[in-house]
Amino acid sequence: MRQGLELQGLSKSFRGAPAPALDEVSLSLAPGSCTAVLGPSGSGKSTLLRTVAGLEIPDRGSVLLNGQDLAAVRPERRGMVMVFQRPLLFPHLNVRDNVAFPATIRGVPRRRARTDAESYLELVHMKGTGKRAVTDLSGGQQQRVAIARGLAARPAVLLLDEPFNALDPELRSAMHDLLAHVRKKLHPTILMVTHDHDEAAAVADRIALLHAGRLLQHDPIDALYTRPATLQVSRLMGGTNEIPGTVKDGMHYSVLGAHALPADQQWPDGPATLIIRQEHLLLVPNHSSGSLAVVTGLRSRGPRRLITVTAAGVDLHAEVTPSHALSIGDSVRVQLPTAALAAVGADTAPDTPPLTSPDWKVLA
Amino acid sequence: MAVTLPPGLSQQASRKGAAQNGLARSRAGGRILRTATAAALAVWFVLPLLPLGLWVFADRWSYPAPLPQHWGLDNVESALARGAATGFAGSLGLGLMVSAVATPLGVLAARSLAFHPSRWSAAVSALLFAPLALPAFVAVFGLNVLLVRLQVPSTAGVVLVLTAYALPYTTYVMRLAYAAHHIGFEEEACTLGATRGQVLFRVQLPLIAPALARAAFLAFLVGWTDYLVTLLVGGGSLVTVPLLVASAASGTGNDGIVAVLSLIALVPPLALLLLMGMTGRRHRGGRT
Repeated sequence: MRQGLELQGLSKSFRGAPAPALDEVSLSLAPGSCTAVLGPSGSGKSTLLRTVAGLEIPDRGSVLLNGQDLAAVRPERRGMVMVFQRPLLFPHLNVRDNVAFPATIRGVPRRRARTDAESYLELVHMKGTGKRAVTDLSGGQQQRVAIARGLAARPAVLLLDEPFNALDPELRSAMHDLLAHVRKKLHPTILMVTHDHDEAAAVADRIALLHAGRLLQHDPIDALYTRPATLQVSRLMGGTNEIPGTVKDGMHYSVLGAHALPADQQWPDGPATLIIRQEHLLLVPNHSSGSLAVVTGLRSRGPRRLITVTAAGVDLHAEVTPSHALSIGDSVRVQLPTAALAAVGADTAPDTPPLTSPDWKVLA
Repeated sequence: MAVTLPPGLSQQASRKGAAQNGLARSRAGGRILRTATAAALAVWFVLPLLPLGLWVFADRWSYPAPLPQHWGLDNVESALARGAATGFAGSLGLGLMVSAVATPLGVLAARSLAFHPSRWSAAVSALLFAPLALPAFVAVFGLNVLLVRLQVPSTAGVVLVLTAYALPYTTYVMRLAYAAHHIGFEEEACTLGATRGQVLFRVQLPLIAPALARAAFLAFLVGWTDYLVTLLVGGGSLVTVPLLVASAASGTGNDGIVAVLSLIALVPPLALLLLMGMTGRRHRGGRT
């Protein structure tokens, strides 16, 4: 019997929608792991979560928890709790009774349920708020209580549907810390939907990247950034550097010359696009080694700067600290560190059009 | 360092603070106008009730005396003799029955309109609201014949027709409530482990309870205040307070009895309204 949560070929179409919301999504989550489902709006993230929770019935495919097929199991019996973007605290109950709700509906005596609720409130750093009305709490506090209520149901799987979306950045990072704290204490399996790359990186072990209902890649976070499976993954993860060329014997050949690819992976021979994150591309002074390039664009991004250079007709983007005193027209050398390189085959036809300029919104 | 202000000064400061919101600040002219309007409205509502109240206890009150000449309970006794108690029971029963049928139907209609919109939604809404546009007199004359032919018992016929008249109100009130109600509450409760019944009784009903009370109250009023349908469809088999008031008012010298019956007609709606206001306030913002 396989432990953890397993999704097998989940497909779901909505009536009147031109494309399926989910298209053969298969995913496997180890117990106690945290996976972020990442993808642009309308990519099927929420549908995936709702299907796992049993709130949507898939057209095809199955959801297995510890080897048991959940097709015939109603949402309330699945042992999965969903926390939505809106806290959805029951307004007719106070904070403590909201958290005690999962226990009281299971028939736990009210007094014990309330005592339990207090300990969950303590876990989310909301001790002493039990008797307050939920309407008296701020947005961040409400979401903490919603998480406490979800945990009080003792779920095997915690499903989080963009739970921190409505919070301001400071509160968000506090909630990320809280989630880390909860993981350390209770070890739930977490499947979390987000469209924020940084949030995914901050809370999850792995990212499942979804686009147009299809799962593009499910890997540890670093791999999605540095070893994207396709050009499309690279673009969706905000990667902007694409150098067309050919791979032969672990080397990539292009107008920028020959570059050795990381040796820890087999690179199939043939036409391939060389990929390097803008954070890893090095701009060095003119007298160093590397490909000669001219600065063609500068953009300030708070503490960092995004610099566009053109080398042998290829536009490249580098994210550097402002200490680089560069201006448009300057000559620099570009270095591509081997460890940061990846090549993706040309045969994977990307859905997203090639970028003519960096997607500033994604980079922000 | 703490500074102790003279009492006058600190009071001034606090008053200033309270009026800092420009929109909420009240100006002298506005205040006078507001008070005058409130007083005028109060007089407008209460004044008609004043002679009514006096008439109840006036055994003799003839023109041009400003106040009754003889006080007593003769009018109350006469009203009781004319069947005020039966009428009260009849009205109460009718109001409750209409409320009991029209409220759940309104809930179902509103839920369907709110959560399962289709291309027929607009047509269904229009159909549900149609009774409001149709004068009761017109509807009842046609229906009367039909109900008699179908051999529908007269009381059931009255409830049936009045339910159709109450449905627009209950549907409208519940539709508004469901528009503000998030289906997510029910989904959340469901994933937290609540069965369908628990979702209904522990989440959905408490959330819509205030609206439910309003809808039930309006439906009750439709039954409680009806005269025409009770008279024509009921055909005299159902005696209600409005029927008694009408028959007493059509005679002369019955002012006292009409006053008693009218006050009786006022009591239940007022009592329900007060009850709703009180419970509504207690539950707001979560029980402790």
